[in-house]
Amino acid sequence: MNKLLNQIILFFSITGYCFCDVSISSPWESITPLNQKDLLDIQSRLQELLPNAKKALVSIETNDGVGSGVIVSEDGLVLTAAHVIGKTGQKMNVRLLNGKKVSAISLGGSEISDAGMLKITKKGKWPFSPIAKRDFSKIGDWCFAIGHPGGFNKKRGVVVRLGRIIGKNEDTLQSDSRLLGGDSGGPLFDFNGNIIAIHSRVSKQPDQNFHVPIECFHINWEFYKDQEILTFEKLKTQGFLGVACEKTDLGLKVNSVVEKSAAEKYGLQKGDFLISLDGEKLDSREELTILISLKKPDELISLEYRRDETELSVQLALGARP
Amino acid sequence: MKDILSVILILNSLSFLHGENDLNGSVVLSADNRLNGKSTQNAFGRARDISLKSTVRLVRNEKLIALGGIIHPAGYILTKASTCVGARNAETFDGKKYPLKIKKRFEESDLAIYQLISENKSFPVINWESENNATEGSWVIAAHPSLNEIRVGVKSGNSRKIEREGGVMGVLLINDNTEVSGVRISEVVPQAAAYRAGLLQDDIITHVDERRVKTQDSLIKIVGGKDPGDVVRIKLVRKKEIKNFVVTLGHRSVTFDLFNRNLQMSGPVSKRKDSFSLILQHDLPLPREAMGGPLFNLYGQCIGVNIARVDRVTMYALPTNESLKTIQSFLKQLP
Repeated sequence: MNKLLNQIILFFSITGYCFCDVSISSPWESITPLNQKDLLDIQSRLQELLPNAKKALVSIETNDGVGSGVIVSEDGLVLTAAHVIGKTGQKMNVRLLNGKKVSAISLGGSEISDAGMLKITKKGKWPFSPIAKRDFSKIGDWCFAIGHPGGFNKKRGVVVRLGRIIGKNEDTLQSDSRLLGGDSGGPLFDFNGNIIAIHSRVSKQPDQNFHVPIECFHINWEFYKDQEILTFEKLKTQGFLGVACEKTDLGLKVNSVVEKSAAEKYGLQKGDFLISLDGEKLDSREELTILISLKKPDELISLEYRRDETELSVQLALGARP
Repeated sequence: MKDILSVILILNSLSFLHGENDLNGSVVLSADNRLNGKSTQNAFGRARDISLKSTVRLVRNEKLIALGGIIHPAGYILTKASTCVGARNAETFDGKKYPLKIKKRFEESDLAIYQLISENKSFPVINWESENNATEGSWVIAAHPSLNEIRVGVKSGNSRKIEREGGVMGVLLINDNTEVSGVRISEVVPQAAAYRAGLLQDDIITHVDERRVKTQDSLIKIVGGKDPGDVVRIKLVRKKEIKNFVVTLGHRSVTFDLFNRNLQMSGPVSKRKDSFSLILQHDLPLPREAMGGPLFNLYGQCIGVNIARVDRVTMYALPTNESLKTIQSFLKQLP
């Protein structure tokens, strides 16, 4: 009986899914608008989402300049860019939508992806925006950027820019919504009203801007929140494995092994897939770098990897960066 | 590409922070389907056609200097006054060229009216939308200077008044001198107004327009009360010698752009981007030479005149009501 019920539910959900896909799909779901009606749908959806999206936006004022950020929890956790906060443990001011200043302290992040976090230290219930699930956003999706380009300006208000995702890989998302200094750290939203990325860098081409995909935050959440910001400088003195990887559907694939590195010494080879490090499943290149950056040269790690369908495991001592 | 995870990472960081890296190798959205791709432009259909046909290119010495919108079938053009000084010719979307005649300038709103010299009395005229109901996030479009493509975007910030910025000499000042009472120049901005007039670092300014100045504030107040283009007479002490200079004031934004990183990466911006009674802000990717052209909504109605390129994410347009208020009396006397 239970089995039958399951099948029915499964059946309904499948047809439901197909139905959604064919008939109710909206113009903002990866489809290039064809006419005025499609454009109107996009416009009214954007206008519907904007008021809520703005509420959680903050302007971040540090000694070095201004950036943006977005509150993602009621107790005031803020996602931003690593280059906005600079260092861990810095006191800074955060300006809310109404211009009110509250104090905050920078947490961690990583210069590799440019993801950063900070926490509002004042007690309160803060307006926050939901973040998108992992691997939810895809190339072609409509999106909108908000932020404080050039800094907070009450009369001008929050600045919105429309765009589409034009490229995405594990540590960068690219969109054609236009950005400027001061936008850094601000959120990129999808047309479900969820945060899909954080503004990071601009290119010379004004229609190609770089964002930290929300996936980086998902994978390294605890690290960004609880550890010091990972800088390129710090990496120099920490442990060194010596593999270059690429994320594939099958896992982290080793593309090359550095000569005389720990990886070479312990027999890792090009084509191996790295599975986990000290029991922690490896989801991205950045995560691998972060986990290794927590170790000193000569420290032991255990690494599980797969070679030709065989799962192998090795205990190895990390080396120093050449 | 971030390849040798650990070794190359440091090198990578350089390109990374400069934002030069592209998503090499991965699939990207085709140019046609992007926000400003051909496919998106096509969806605007009639609105696109209207915007292209009612916009003209204003040319001086074979060089595009501004766009304009056709406001009357006898070939009257509305454009941005301060950028089209000396405009001689105009070109329409069909490639036809016309000589131009200046009709009227409105300094306050930075608008100007020209006329295309032609027998044609049925030019395609813009259709004004006067309700001012462009809300934040509404689509806006305008012709690209090529007049064969449009640019699309949204109303991106609050409509508001933009305050006047006074003229500047382009000097940094300091109040530390002891021997002579006056204001010392600590730095002269290269190529700016004071530089061109011959003022030098460590000159001590004692008088502006015959008025004695003892503090930075009093000097700034006098100079700031004047407009870019105005002239001030400066009396100063240089190496114990009294000298007189005449300085033609510059624009604050242009003079100090050198120091502004955001403007460095924005490319050329409009000289006059201040002192507007009301502006509508949008994010169209247009060059400075596209200012003066009309801005349209999704229905092809003109909702304003592009009046300033402020930086790479900020354009100002004078809303239709403001523009019409300015040119009303002129329009009334036309047949």
